[in-house]
Amino acid sequence: MATINGKDIRKLVVACDAGMGSSVMLASTLRKQLGKTGVTVEHTPVNSIPADADVVVCHSGLAARARSVAPDKPIVPFQIFLGDPAVTKVVKAIQQGTDLNV
Amino acid sequence: MASSYTPEVSGGGFRARVQKLGGHLAGMVMPNIGAIIAWGLITALFIPVGWLPNENLAELVDPMIKYLLPVLIGYTGGRMVHGQRGAVVGATATMGVVVGADVPMFLGAMIIGPLTAYVLRLFDNAIDGRIKPGFEMLVDNFSAGIIGGGFAILGKLAIGPVVNGLTKAAGSGVDWLLDHSLMPLVSVLVEPAKVLFLNNAINHGVFSPLGVQQVAESGKSILFMIESNPGPGLGLLLAYFFFGPKSLRPTTPAAMIIHFFGGIHEIYFPYVLMKPRLILALMAGGASGVATFMIFGAGTVASPAPGSIFAFVAVTAKGSHVGMFLGVLIAAAVTFGVAALLLGFGKLKSDQEPDDDTTSEAKTPEEIADEPAVPAQRTASEDETDSTRKENA
Repeated sequence: MATINGKDIRKLVVACDAGMGSSVMLASTLRKQLGKTGVTVEHTPVNSIPADADVVVCHSGLAARARSVAPDKPIVPFQIFLGDPAVTKVVKAIQQGTDLNV
Repeated sequence: MASSYTPEVSGGGFRARVQKLGGHLAGMVMPNIGAIIAWGLITALFIPVGWLPNENLAELVDPMIKYLLPVLIGYTGGRMVHGQRGAVVGATATMGVVVGADVPMFLGAMIIGPLTAYVLRLFDNAIDGRIKPGFEMLVDNFSAGIIGGGFAILGKLAIGPVVNGLTKAAGSGVDWLLDHSLMPLVSVLVEPAKVLFLNNAINHGVFSPLGVQQVAESGKSILFMIESNPGPGLGLLLAYFFFGPKSLRPTTPAAMIIHFFGGIHEIYFPYVLMKPRLILALMAGGASGVATFMIFGAGTVASPAPGSIFAFVAVTAKGSHVGMFLGVLIAAAVTFGVAALLLGFGKLKSDQEPDDDTTSEAKTPEEIADEPAVPAQRTASEDETDSTRKENA
């Protein structure tokens, strides 16, 4: 397991197929939850994950593509768009500065 | 262990490759949906059979579909390959395929835009660092000008006529499906592909280019309504709400709102991937919806994107609203019925927990690595083995 500390996350990227639909929705939710932490939350198409992303969140159906585009980034795949435990763990790790296994 | 999140550097997997190709096609169209909707609304309003026929304003219709939209697609395709310089040569070269063509050249633009930008990128890489100081701008401008102009000529002479023929052939293929009432069968292919996150690729990569051609000919198209119909997803979420695993039921009302009114269909895909046999319900619902649209001759004037009921109301062609609402409702009802049956009306014990482990905690890295490939193979045919396994368990 690779581990990343929540304190080291400055930029979280939510990726979806087009970068216009579901990623925007999840990004706005996460932006609200992470508002106080100062972490930048961005949404992008999965084909153009920015180089300065610290952690990438995307649906497990797109994880293979995310890994091929950003092989050196921690990818957090999730299953459901609302209240997925994998996403909740990322938020917790950032808020509390704890370690996150990805 | 760095490899735990980097298991597939090559971007392996058939599904990832198809998704990627489709993502490129859709990526050229999706940023331009606003312009397509503008064109669709102007068409719906001002053509002779529209809401407010107006000859003067209807003059906008033809140049927008023939020039503006393909050039925007060629521009965006070029930009995806080689930034702003790629965008400029992509748009330039696209003019070569659109001038003189008698169909909207979406497909031609999707080919020549990125191709021209790719050639310019090769050139830029080849001369990188070899230009004498002070001559950069001269070389940059004339390389783009010569390559863009050259591909415009190539497009006019060679690529345009070929793509023109292909687009016409695809168009008559669609006509054939419509004439023989086979259109509902398209749902059997579309619905499974959709939940594998090929929704944008299908809708904007395949249906949009053919749909605008139909709108240009007859003022409306059913093709825009096949993938984007929010009915099947609504029916599925309703079935989950009443009969799904108890732990998931509370999440479905919010998902329904986001799906049906917000038009973000991705939100229901996971519920299908957890119980792949439910794809049968979506196929049945989607096909019933398309059949209803066909019987009522319903069509929209542009892609309802996102696939929200509000977007549907806005772009449905004059006189098609009854058929549209019925198609959406029937699709939802059929999907709900079949999905409820497949979920055993909530009485199957094995169904009270999701098939897939949604708390990805328990997963080893190997499982996570395998995961993306798994749902791709879970087609409807494997669905049987899936449920047999459960009965044995």
